[in-house]
Amino acid sequence: MQNRNLTVGIFLVAGVALFTLSLFLIGSQHKVFARHFEVYTEFANLDGLTKGGKVKVAGFDGGEIVDIAVPGSPTAKFRLKLRIEERLHPVVRADSMVTIATEGVVGDKFLFIHTGSAQAAETSSGATLPSKEPLNLADLMEKSAGLLNDAGGTMKTAGQKLNETLDTATTTIRNANDLIVGLKQGKGTAGMLLHDETTATRIRQSIENVHQATASLNQTARRADDLVSDLQSRQLGQKAEETLSNARSATQNIKATSQRIRQTVDDATGPDDQGVDTATNIRQSVSNLNQATENMSEDMEALKHNFFFRGFFKHRGYYSLSHLPPDEYRRDKLFSDSRNHRDWFETDDLFTSDRSGLETLSRSGGARIDDAIDRLSDSLGPAPLIVEGYSTAQNSPEQLADSRNRAMLVRDYIRRRFHLDAQDVVIQSLGDRPPAGVGKDRWNGVCIVLLHSNSR
Amino acid sequence: MRKLFEFVGKVARFGLQVIVKTFRPPIEFRQIWSQIAEVGSRSLPLVAASGLALGVVMTLHTRSTLVTFGAGAMIPAVQSIAFFVEIGPLVAALLVAGRVGAGIGAVIANMRATEQIDAIEALSIDSFKFLVVPRVAACVLVLPLLTTFMDFSGLLGGYLSEYALSHISLRLYVTRAFTNLDWANFVPPTLKTVVFGFIIGTVSSFFGYTTNEGAEGVGRAATNSVVLSSLLVILADIILVRCIFLAFPESAI
Amino acid sequence: MSDEKQAAIALDHVSKSFGTKQVLRDVSLEIERGEAVCILGRSGTGKSVALKLMISLLKPDSGYIWVGDEDIAQLNAEGLSRVRRRMGFLFQSAALFDSLTLHDNLALPLHRLTDKSRPEIEETIERVLGEVGLAADKGKMPVELSGGMKKRAGLARALVLAPEILLIDEPSSGLDAITAEEIDDLLLRQKSQQKTTMVIVTHDVRGARRVADRFAVLDQGSLIALGKPADLEHHESEIVRKLVAEH
Repeated sequence: MQNRNLTVGIFLVAGVALFTLSLFLIGSQHKVFARHFEVYTEFANLDGLTKGGKVKVAGFDGGEIVDIAVPGSPTAKFRLKLRIEERLHPVVRADSMVTIATEGVVGDKFLFIHTGSAQAAETSSGATLPSKEPLNLADLMEKSAGLLNDAGGTMKTAGQKLNETLDTATTTIRNANDLIVGLKQGKGTAGMLLHDETTATRIRQSIENVHQATASLNQTARRADDLVSDLQSRQLGQKAEETLSNARSATQNIKATSQRIRQTVDDATGPDDQGVDTATNIRQSVSNLNQATENMSEDMEALKHNFFFRGFFKHRGYYSLSHLPPDEYRRDKLFSDSRNHRDWFETDDLFTSDRSGLETLSRSGGARIDDAIDRLSDSLGPAPLIVEGYSTAQNSPEQLADSRNRAMLVRDYIRRRFHLDAQDVVIQSLGDRPPAGVGKDRWNGVCIVLLHSNSR
Repeated sequence: MRKLFEFVGKVARFGLQVIVKTFRPPIEFRQIWSQIAEVGSRSLPLVAASGLALGVVMTLHTRSTLVTFGAGAMIPAVQSIAFFVEIGPLVAALLVAGRVGAGIGAVIANMRATEQIDAIEALSIDSFKFLVVPRVAACVLVLPLLTTFMDFSGLLGGYLSEYALSHISLRLYVTRAFTNLDWANFVPPTLKTVVFGFIIGTVSSFFGYTTNEGAEGVGRAATNSVVLSSLLVILADIILVRCIFLAFPESAI
Repeated sequence: MSDEKQAAIALDHVSKSFGTKQVLRDVSLEIERGEAVCILGRSGTGKSVALKLMISLLKPDSGYIWVGDEDIAQLNAEGLSRVRRRMGFLFQSAALFDSLTLHDNLALPLHRLTDKSRPEIEETIERVLGEVGLAADKGKMPVELSGGMKKRAGLARALVLAPEILLIDEPSSGLDAITAEEIDDLLLRQKSQQKTTMVIVTHDVRGARRVADRFAVLDQGSLIALGKPADLEHHESEIVRKLVAEH
């Protein structure tokens, strides 16, 4: 009996002791009795974290997730309450970043609190620590695939646009060829323009650039497409990083390419430093030819409105019109366009004659012009203002002299008054006959014309 | 079929009687004590040895797989979770069902056959309280403890096996073993063996107590006790594990 | 209880069956105080069942069983306990508790059913074991005892409460003649010294004739004869004559 009591006693004591021991061994991992502080953090994606999940501070196992508040709306985030051992408090700073990490390859998810910076304040209990959403590999793939798809799409569009541009350029060349033929037959000014070696080289260069850009863009797009399909066909995995960096460089290529496109287009549409000489040449050629030739061909008109060359005409003061004959002017669609803005002024409204009979701008006339320009001020742009002078004097030399004088008076006034450059305000003396289609057969005085934006 | 339901009904009534009579004074402390000695102390060597052997085998098996995945550090955790959550409770219960269940079945059947139960009744002692209740109580009380022994001997076996292969320190092994363990991984699975103990004690006592076939009934009672109590233990385990998962969702990995 | 005329045990039209097998049919039997009655019969005629009914280990299907003035079939656990305290039962196989020593086998009823102090209990055990000649063996487990010793030990346990009524199931079964005679001597001594009422189920007619005042003969569950052994030798039933005949 004594012996049995002994064995039973030993059995019971040892059993209970082991049970208690395991309770404490397990409990010690949770540090139930240690002092704690509580902080919060927020995640849009919990990535499988659960209540009771581990929290490691700089890799030290020192806390757990005690509560997870589910967000009330799709835009809100899960709010996690963390209980962390008090002794870790000094390394948890206000700027300590919280991330979700995985223990080993097949391990549990846990929260990782990175040590904050020494300058930041120690986080206070109940504070919310900043968090970084988990880098979900699959999401990332999806995103980069989307990005590459977009890039592919964009580049295809860009390529398409460039192709259209090329078509236009080709048309231009064809037109230019026609012009050259015309020139050889002594027909147009534009012929001269294109005959000018520099201009021609430049145009060719521009077109060549576009060609190259398109080719390289197409190639990039193809590469991007390949990447995307590669990405989609693979089961992801360790190739992910490589693929991503490929995607990144592809994106950079795209950026560079689009810059080149922009440059090319800029080159094509606008002047650059080199262009000035070319432009001067063109202008001179054109004005020389203008004097020499009687008519302005339709071809020139087309060329003038062309995408590539418009800038040249516009900015190089071609519309100073100093040498454009009145007849030519009257017939030109550009100036006879009914959509042009015109302000008509009677002679008496603007001018007074002194005793010698010489006309000068009256004070009230200046005020009227001020009003008119003021009304136009919103529309004033790169296009020049044209001041048309009219006179109904008896003979044509007098008409010419008067109308020119009136136009110049107004031009000078505008230039002085509004500090405009010479090329911004141009004159045209038209005798007594306004251009066709403006609604007036005769006029005595001045008309201020602002070309309609489409014709500019 | 009818017989089966009758049988189930009889066993259930028997179990109910056990519960009712357990709490009706006087409580047979001396009998309970001696049954704890019988069920507990004398099962301990069997349980400890089995646990140790099982621990060694478990580690040998899991090791290669875990090392393949580079999760060699998880070996102690796998070992402890396996033992604390399932192997400890279930194997301890099955061992007890084998050793003690057969013993209870045979002893009570023998007492029935040799009129000892009548003799007890003739002394105006409630034989049910005197024989059955203490045995069931002892099983209920002792099985959690035996389970704990099983857990630790399994862990010890795992440690010895792991030490032989990688010379891991005991301290590191224990730390790793218990790091991933939660109270929910230990307390509910250990306490569920209370149910196992009740099943083993009740079923075994039932076969012994109700036999009336004389000497050959003894052997049959012993066999039936082991078979049915083992089966019921495993079936109950399914339900209990599910219940534990419901009550402690985080323990469901 | 003090009524001298009242029977110690009375079976009143008792029937008992197990399943479809009827073991006792309408048995009525009265046993006087201080009387020793032997129940004889062929195997399986319900002798042991009758004995167990008398101490309420089995309940009758019908009829009444009186012990003193109490209907034991109707008693609750407490009343039954009170009645049983006055009764001793020697089982066929002695039914010693395997898990207890001889001493503890005797101590158990004393602990359970009396208010005796520990020294008194020890003293009683010593005395009773001395009476049956097992004083030296009190520390032994039942398995260490021989058949005759077990029987005497069982008797000792039955006697330890100093019962007014002793129910004895096959006192001499499985024993040699000499050992059986020793048991009979013990019973006779008990009967003469303590005036204990005895009901003995036996096949051993020789022993029964020494101990019993009356014989009761059961056949197929029915009481077919009751009377002094000498009277029954000339009973009309051949079965009775054969059973009672002393070979």
